[in-house]
Amino acid sequence: MVTPAVAHIGLWTALPVLATFALSLTDYNIFDAPRWIGIDNYIQIWNDPTFRLATWNTVVYTFWTVPVSMAIAMIIAVALNQNLWLRTWYRTAFFLPQVTATVAIAMVWLWIYNPQQGLLNAALSVIGIPGQAWLANPDWSLWAVILVGAWQGIGIKMLIYIAALQNVDNSLYEAASVDGASVVRKFFAITLPMLKPATFFVLVISIIGAFQVFDQIYVLTDGGPANATTMMTYEVYRSAFQNFQMGLASAQSVCLFAFLLVMTLISRRATRGDDE
Amino acid sequence: MALSACSSDNGAASDDSGAVSGDITLLTPIYEGAAGQRLLEDELLPQFYEKYPDVKVTVDYTNFARLNEKLTTGVVSGLVPDVMMMGVGWVEAFADKGVLANLSESGISVADLEKSTTAEIVKAGVWDGDVYAVPIMLDARFGVARMDLLREAGYDAPPTTWAELVEMAEALTIRSEGGDLERAGFDVLSLDARQMYETMLFSSGGSLFNDDNTAPAFNSAAGVEALESVVDLIHTSEVEDTGFSSTKETVNPLINGRAAMGIAHNNLWTQTLEAAPELLPELEPFLIPGDSPGMFVGGTLATMSSSSEHPAAAQALLEFLASPGPALAANEQRGNIPALTELLDTDYAQGNRLVQFSMENLEVAKREGGPSEWLGLRGEIAPAIESALLAQKTPKQALDDLADVFTGKMAG
Repeated sequence: MVTPAVAHIGLWTALPVLATFALSLTDYNIFDAPRWIGIDNYIQIWNDPTFRLATWNTVVYTFWTVPVSMAIAMIIAVALNQNLWLRTWYRTAFFLPQVTATVAIAMVWLWIYNPQQGLLNAALSVIGIPGQAWLANPDWSLWAVILVGAWQGIGIKMLIYIAALQNVDNSLYEAASVDGASVVRKFFAITLPMLKPATFFVLVISIIGAFQVFDQIYVLTDGGPANATTMMTYEVYRSAFQNFQMGLASAQSVCLFAFLLVMTLISRRATRGDDE
Repeated sequence: MALSACSSDNGAASDDSGAVSGDITLLTPIYEGAAGQRLLEDELLPQFYEKYPDVKVTVDYTNFARLNEKLTTGVVSGLVPDVMMMGVGWVEAFADKGVLANLSESGISVADLEKSTTAEIVKAGVWDGDVYAVPIMLDARFGVARMDLLREAGYDAPPTTWAELVEMAEALTIRSEGGDLERAGFDVLSLDARQMYETMLFSSGGSLFNDDNTAPAFNSAAGVEALESVVDLIHTSEVEDTGFSSTKETVNPLINGRAAMGIAHNNLWTQTLEAAPELLPELEPFLIPGDSPGMFVGGTLATMSSSSEHPAAAQALLEFLASPGPALAANEQRGNIPALTELLDTDYAQGNRLVQFSMENLEVAKREGGPSEWLGLRGEIAPAIESALLAQKTPKQALDDLADVFTGKMAG
């Protein structure tokens, strides 16, 4: 019986998506009925320097958080796939940020980044490096947000990689060892290729997750200073819930959707294997 | 006063209580936190239920930063709370679009309100000549000096001219040998950038909009000068560094001595009372000296949904919350200025130096808002001010660009 599933998808996914597309072509301020304005919202987005900045910030955020956290997650996964003492404890520790509320995490990072009492500046001062107002300095604030994003994203990626690693046939490593392959050689010749499907999956969900970053911006910076950390999702939120421009927010959401679609297709092409 | 006319001392509305019934919702950005919730649910609402046993109130708590989200979802879903607390600047948009009930139709007139309530805040609840919101509290922003720190530096009074303020702020600023700021001479960063700028703007004789609220006016010479003054404090006088403080600070720098002077909210008194009561005698308020001394004033007002299914119950709750007893309790909990003038003689108001100062200077206070598009405009101000504070744009560029955004949105 597929009817319930189809009804569920139709009602809760397809309908809202279609409604978003339709609303993106209207002027809808929540008080009055939507008024058809064609592509005016898209023209406004195109001419809006803040949304352009938000798009660029989102791309930069994604560019750094996704590969960095994927690389770290893979290294940790490989390490924790060995018979280490306290392996389960380590796995739990690395996964913990994933299951902790982003708001709680962001509050902790607010303290870490505090210019006066924060852990980061205190640690830097020990080695003689001057501290910064990490979240108030536009040169550093986006990097501060990227660091939080990369750190928080490691857990789920590590988990997927560990699951994938446990499906790799151990005889491949044994054969490579017989042939005298080094650890590094085995990693690049066996582990990495065998993780390709998992890597594609992780890449796609990471890109989608990174493009949808919102909570930490909401708590850490409110998009500031001077819009230095605003993101596409944050602009959608601002348009809809602060400026009452639901039509514009819908158009911004459609742009975000288009971006995600393109990025996913690029990822798919980039990670297409020999089996295709 | 309209409310007094139909209310007893404990705020019970005059309607026949037997006829007032129903389940109603209250959306409130005040009564925040555990203490606020206790006040409302353990002390105030039980008094309300004594008079109206057939009314049940469900409370939805939020804060001013998130109030728009709640209101937006309420309007879009058609589930507008029966009674809503709003800030100054909110009422115009919601009244204009018919979301709020016209309270003048229920007998609450502007003239009656002005007999009992501070006039400046009454205007914030009026749209198109009719009353849509009843004020409960005001809040003001002005200069505050730590007199103990000023005396250490040889000053015995807060500054009375801008030149004096700059000179004193420079003298009061302390940096380490490495140049790190240890004490700001004048703190402008702990307050929201929009409110800080508006305080400066009003002190310079400027205003946000022209007289009929049809065009922005903050990029006038007075407005530019106001922002230039703040930018100069940071970049020329170096009395505070960007990032030294922020709205997310848990302790105001005037309390922990990280600032000697600054622009502050009147609830600094309550914060100090809780954190360091011994410092209370050292807090000295002053008007920011500008071309035309001014002060920013905001407030909280109670409104009622025009679509309430239980309008009598909603109005009874609104009148109860705005009546002397509950209003005084809410002001005391929040450290704000009672809107009802009769409450200004209470021990709370008399014992709060910053509340007294605010009241003494209300004639020079200005409020934000004005046009019905205000809620869609206000969020644009802080990034523009920050871009000037960070020297990404000159003050004039920042304000001119912001004025263009305002003009576009107000025309659209």
